[in-house]
Amino acid sequence: MLLWLIVTIVTAIACAALYYAATARPVNAAAGDSVATNRHFQQVLAAIDADRATGKLGEAEAEAAKGELAREIMRHKAEVSTTSKGLLFGGNMAFAAILAIGVLALGTYQLVGRPDMPSQPLASRADAAQAIDIKEAVTRIEAQLASNPDDLRGWRVLAPVYMQSQRFADAAKAYRRIVALGDKTATAQTDLAEALLMQADGDASGEPMRLLQNALILDPGDVRARFYVAGELTRQGDYPAAVDAWKALLALSKGGEPWLATANRGLKLAEADGVPEEGADISAEDQNAMIQGMVGGLATRLADQGGPIEDWVRLVRSYLVLGDKQSAQQTYDAAVQAYPKTFDRADLDTIAAAGGLTLEGAKP
Amino acid sequence: MPIELGHFALILAFAIASVAAIGGFTFWRSGERIAQFVSQAALLQFVLTAVAFVALIQAFIVSDFSLALAANNSNPVIPLLFKISGVWGNHEGSMLLWILILVGFGAMVAVFGKNLPRDLLTLVLAMQALLTAAFTGFTIFTSNPFWRLSPAPLQGSDLNPVLQDVGLAIHPPLLYVGYVGFSICFSFAIAALISGRIDGAWARWVRPWAILSWLFLTLGIAMGSYWAYYELGWGGWWFWDPVENASFMPWLAGTALLHSALVMEKRNALKVWTVFLSIITFSLSLLGTFLVRSGILTSVHTFASDPTRGLVILSLLALFIGGAFLLFALRVSSLRLGGLFAPVSREGALILNNLFLATATGAVLVGTLYPLVLDALAGVSISVGPPFFNLTFAVLMSPLLIVLPFGPLLAWKRADVVAAAQRLIAVAALAIFLAVLISALSGVTISMAPIGLLLGFWVAFGAFAELVERGRIGRIPPMDSVRRLAGLPRTTWATAIAHFGVGVTVLGIVATSAWETELVTTLNPGETTTLADYTIAFDSFGPVNGAGFTAEVGTFTVTSTDHSTRQMQAARRTYLASGSQTTEAAIQTYGFSQLYLQLGEAVNGTHVVRLWHKPYITLIWIGALFMAFAGALSLTDRRLRVGVPKRAARQTSGAA
Repeated sequence: MLLWLIVTIVTAIACAALYYAATARPVNAAAGDSVATNRHFQQVLAAIDADRATGKLGEAEAEAAKGELAREIMRHKAEVSTTSKGLLFGGNMAFAAILAIGVLALGTYQLVGRPDMPSQPLASRADAAQAIDIKEAVTRIEAQLASNPDDLRGWRVLAPVYMQSQRFADAAKAYRRIVALGDKTATAQTDLAEALLMQADGDASGEPMRLLQNALILDPGDVRARFYVAGELTRQGDYPAAVDAWKALLALSKGGEPWLATANRGLKLAEADGVPEEGADISAEDQNAMIQGMVGGLATRLADQGGPIEDWVRLVRSYLVLGDKQSAQQTYDAAVQAYPKTFDRADLDTIAAAGGLTLEGAKP
Repeated sequence: MPIELGHFALILAFAIASVAAIGGFTFWRSGERIAQFVSQAALLQFVLTAVAFVALIQAFIVSDFSLALAANNSNPVIPLLFKISGVWGNHEGSMLLWILILVGFGAMVAVFGKNLPRDLLTLVLAMQALLTAAFTGFTIFTSNPFWRLSPAPLQGSDLNPVLQDVGLAIHPPLLYVGYVGFSICFSFAIAALISGRIDGAWARWVRPWAILSWLFLTLGIAMGSYWAYYELGWGGWWFWDPVENASFMPWLAGTALLHSALVMEKRNALKVWTVFLSIITFSLSLLGTFLVRSGILTSVHTFASDPTRGLVILSLLALFIGGAFLLFALRVSSLRLGGLFAPVSREGALILNNLFLATATGAVLVGTLYPLVLDALAGVSISVGPPFFNLTFAVLMSPLLIVLPFGPLLAWKRADVVAAAQRLIAVAALAIFLAVLISALSGVTISMAPIGLLLGFWVAFGAFAELVERGRIGRIPPMDSVRRLAGLPRTTWATAIAHFGVGVTVLGIVATSAWETELVTTLNPGETTTLADYTIAFDSFGPVNGAGFTAEVGTFTVTSTDHSTRQMQAARRTYLASGSQTTEAAIQTYGFSQLYLQLGEAVNGTHVVRLWHKPYITLIWIGALFMAFAGALSLTDRRLRVGVPKRAARQTSGAA
């Protein structure tokens, strides 16, 4: 509303300025039209004399030029005296004109303007969005890091966010930067390895494997590193080494960890030299094993670092497929804590409701 | 709020311009009131458009990405200067800049033209208002810089890295002032055709505007040329790119207009031709500004073009250019012929100048548009490249340059060409001597270079022949000569300086074309190469972080013949927000010559380095600076000022 008030006042001022400029003049007729033209004729005459003096015009030519000028002046006088006056631009016309301006301006603005939209400079957007929008913070941190790439704290904040938003290449870059800036701890190296293997769709051969093994030298109790090493050895078919790796991982268990089932399954697979167990329902068993494998990694990551809502949805759905309703409910509750607003978890609630879980949103 | 207020200010300016145009063309005969109305409207249009422009700049500075334009062309990390210049580094914002300059010129006419005949003033301002209304309407409805985004995006998508340069802050505004300034000449021409009154006084009022626009266009083109030279990294200074041609055509036509308006002012002759040139110059300016936007031409200058926009722009161009020529055809018979003159005279020389410049304009126009037309009609794709333009230009400009020094020495109406030639003998001797000397020293074989040098020296020295003549240098005591020279009208000095500038530019072009040396080699840090008496050592190579980009920078040390050393840093930049790359050439200036170094991408640890030695290349732009300075100097000449002196003005208002 304030905006409309201001634009109306601006329009009124502009229109008033136009109206008075036109009507404040007592005469409405042409006046002094010839003054400027006569001045020009005088200057041409003076220039003819000056040119004759400097030799830029011969004597005869100067006389001819003067004659031409005289004819031009006479013609001009005749022309001015016979010029007819056109329509009068009176007060009514001026009023009609400013009325047209007001209607045209306000009407056009009504058509194309966005009077409802406030300004949103970066500073205020950042303040307002801090609570809701992590991406805004990312923008600011990225901006800061661009000018000061040695800011270790910035990279530490940014890297997990990249992981969560599945920008694994960026995450790898950020973790690499953290390592380069002097953080050579096991966690830092495992983080980098994880980002790299995610980027390579689970292939941990090469650099990630070296990093993981480094991490294990620094910290033999690094569960994540053990898990990935064991998984990679299994994937590569190095079963004797894989058996050792899985055993080392299971030795770290205090019981009840979300990755236990997967680790046990991995160990069995490795002990059987990669041949799945004989069973009544191999295909279903296989499928479940696959899901279990995925669930293990996902559950570890979500429990440690949290993640995007899609990952939570995936995990809940997996537990429901496996028939593990209790874990599904636990995961769902954890997800609700991570994403308190119902707006964010429409999909999650739908799946949970369909799976017969107790919905957080059902509470008042 | 500020954004929306800016948006409304632009719309209000549009409304005022529309009404002022209609009112002005309907009531132009009715005298004082309508003149006051359109004058006030012109001032308001300027103030309101300036408010709109400031609102945009403010939104860019605070990175308000609820403004779509800012979100698409800015980024919080780029330096402040580029945030501001980013406002016009795109189609919508540059339209607003164009309009701002248009209404700026309108306001200047309203302020400085208070004493013009009422009907002429009303018609000129009505025509300006019509242009403003049309292009503001186009901007508001098809290319609105004030479109909003909701919700505001989190990050801007960055300004095109090539445009992240001081050049963007300077080149477009200069060029636009040049282009748009000619709209005043155009409006004066339309006003003269409508009112049917055209005489020498008309030319006196038009000429300052033509000079002002011309000097800015000169600076804009020179600046654009230097920018392309150092930023695009191709090592050339003029490419006959369609967009360059588009800015060069109004310059050629505008140069012709300057000269023909002089004849009209002084001798009341060439009226039809001058009016025609006024129309054609602005038409070419419009073509230059908008052809690239229509999607017909694609080049570095093409902003995201869409078909609707292109169609509207083409319709507007057709309307204004076609309308102006139609009016010209209908009214031209009512214009009388003016003073008489013999073929050999100052008038005749200026006609010769116009003839060559107009032909050159035509040649560039054909060379630029013919491939397009052929492609559109016959589907045959041909390319008219630099060889065509270079040859055509050499052929057309050489005779013009030969006769140039004669012009200022000839008398009006009927001149003695033999007498003028005698006064130029010394100049000719000096030019021949220098051309032969330089050619001999640099060991040039038979080529066009000595002839080019001869022309350059001939024009540069010949420019001062009139000063020597009028200062009677050598014939009276030196102090008297100085007094006489100081007493000469500034326009005489301006003529000499501008023509000297032409000669300097010619020398620069000839020297750099004839003696440029180029070296493409692979080089690694620690290695050394030589080019044209310079020893270039590749010292180091490494990454550097800049504002909004990271760069791989190669550092070189150049040792010249006098054993002095200088550092050169060439880089390849990668811009963080867009991921795009640019090359930053390194340039070192030695006297008037330059060493130009471009670093190629590292392949297997080896760098391809391109080196050019460009002798006397800076003369090209220095000559342009002389020309622009001469334009500014002539504007300060008392006799050129618009309207009448203050005393007479007071009498007028007293009588009223």
